[in-house]
Amino acid sequence: MPKTETFILNMGPQHPSTHGVLQVQLELDGENIVHAKPIMGYLHRGIEKLLESRTYVQGVPYTDRLDYVSSMNNNFGFCRVVEELAGIEVPRRAEYIRVIMAEFNRIASHLIFIGTLAIDLGASTGMLYTFRDREDILDLFNLVCGARMTFHYIRIGGVAADVQPEFVAQAYAFLDKVPHFMEEYNQILSGNEIFTRRLKGVSQLSVEESLAYNMTGPNIRAAGLPYDLRKVDGYSVYPEFSFAVPVGKKGDNWDRYQVRFREIFESAKIIRQALDGLPEGEFMAKIPKVLRPPKGEVYSRTESTRGELGFYIVSDGSTKPYRVHIRRPSFVNMQGLDAMCRGMLIGDSVAAFSSIDPLMGEVDC
Amino acid sequence: MFGKGLITGMRVTWKHFWGKKVTFCYPEEKLPMTERFRGGHLALNATKCIGCKLCSLNCPNRALELTVTVDENKKRHMQQYLHIMGRCLYCNLCVESCPTQALSWDKEYAISSWYKEDMVHDSMSDQTSAAVSEVKPHE
Repeated sequence: MPKTETFILNMGPQHPSTHGVLQVQLELDGENIVHAKPIMGYLHRGIEKLLESRTYVQGVPYTDRLDYVSSMNNNFGFCRVVEELAGIEVPRRAEYIRVIMAEFNRIASHLIFIGTLAIDLGASTGMLYTFRDREDILDLFNLVCGARMTFHYIRIGGVAADVQPEFVAQAYAFLDKVPHFMEEYNQILSGNEIFTRRLKGVSQLSVEESLAYNMTGPNIRAAGLPYDLRKVDGYSVYPEFSFAVPVGKKGDNWDRYQVRFREIFESAKIIRQALDGLPEGEFMAKIPKVLRPPKGEVYSRTESTRGELGFYIVSDGSTKPYRVHIRRPSFVNMQGLDAMCRGMLIGDSVAAFSSIDPLMGEVDC
Repeated sequence: MFGKGLITGMRVTWKHFWGKKVTFCYPEEKLPMTERFRGGHLALNATKCIGCKLCSLNCPNRALELTVTVDENKKRHMQQYLHIMGRCLYCNLCVESCPTQALSWDKEYAISSWYKEDMVHDSMSDQTSAAVSEVKPHE
């Protein structure tokens, strides 16, 4: 029997399927993965320290750069913490608009997930369809805040500007389109035999394992635990809307795909209810020109697209935060990569990585 | 039957192949920018500016370099207004902070340049009525 030994293969940081600059060090036994070690830090910009050296209001645009495909959710999370710290009451109309934007952004982000998962598995056509429909959401954001990516729309105390009547009309038109394009994805991707075989039963994670890795968001819901902060914490005006929390059964790649797929419908349901019941009133609370929250510390969390996004801010009573820490869901979810890849083939590591849906801007912060 | 899903998928692609186009020919065709569009060059209306420097104070990344002089009547005059686009976050805080609404974005989004020096834009260079348009920054 010849003596064999494992060898190391570096995947990334210039690998197209790592969604940015992530290096995964794969220890291989033949073609099987023994150990997958993510090496992070290539996109580190020191956003926590940047936030500490700027005023609270100036810090909001930096949160756009964390999870840059769902910036609205980041703005939302940061602003909620500062409002809690400073005791600012947000007008109801602003809360509704925030929820509409956060859910639109969730749909946009999940569309990217479906598209990138498809392209990582070799189905490049699938990617084009999801990006086509995401474009409609970006047009809506462009209309309301003048940017397509780094929105800086949700502000401390409310939102930057009120929504226009044409935005509401276009939003309804988009919601009407949701079942049609989702059916198209079903036909192109979900029914595709190659696509399903690459996902079903691959890289399973149980609820216990997911909890041990502290995973949140669609990744833990795919394992079967209905843990959604919009329901658990019931922050903002989410308790006023009826929506379901989709859960998976096995916690494999297919469940992670299906959970996000079904979440798009739920988000659309929330947006429709919010648009129907959009109250009249102010879109911005009265906040002082120079914001000086009292001394204290606050940790607040929101359900971002990728899981629990938490901001911990310590205030020393000055205009700038004394300490900011960001609990980024992508970073924490990445811990499960090793368990998901163990024993799989190299090609499956790409599917596993893609199904976690991490974003390097958020992983490295 | 294995392969049925592939054929269904191909049918969708085939239908769109003959369907309406969703793309357009850039740069022959250009999309109009929205009223609230933020990006491109920052334009300063020098007649409205009172030289208070609130815009540069509010800038999170020191993207504005201002030269202000004070005359014998203690009135402030903006001499030079440089917008360093490489540092700009396009967060709109400068436009929103302006008490006289002298700042606005032009709708030109194709602003990439070959040289770093070209990333500095003199916002007072073009004071024609077209450049400093009466575009209202959003409330």
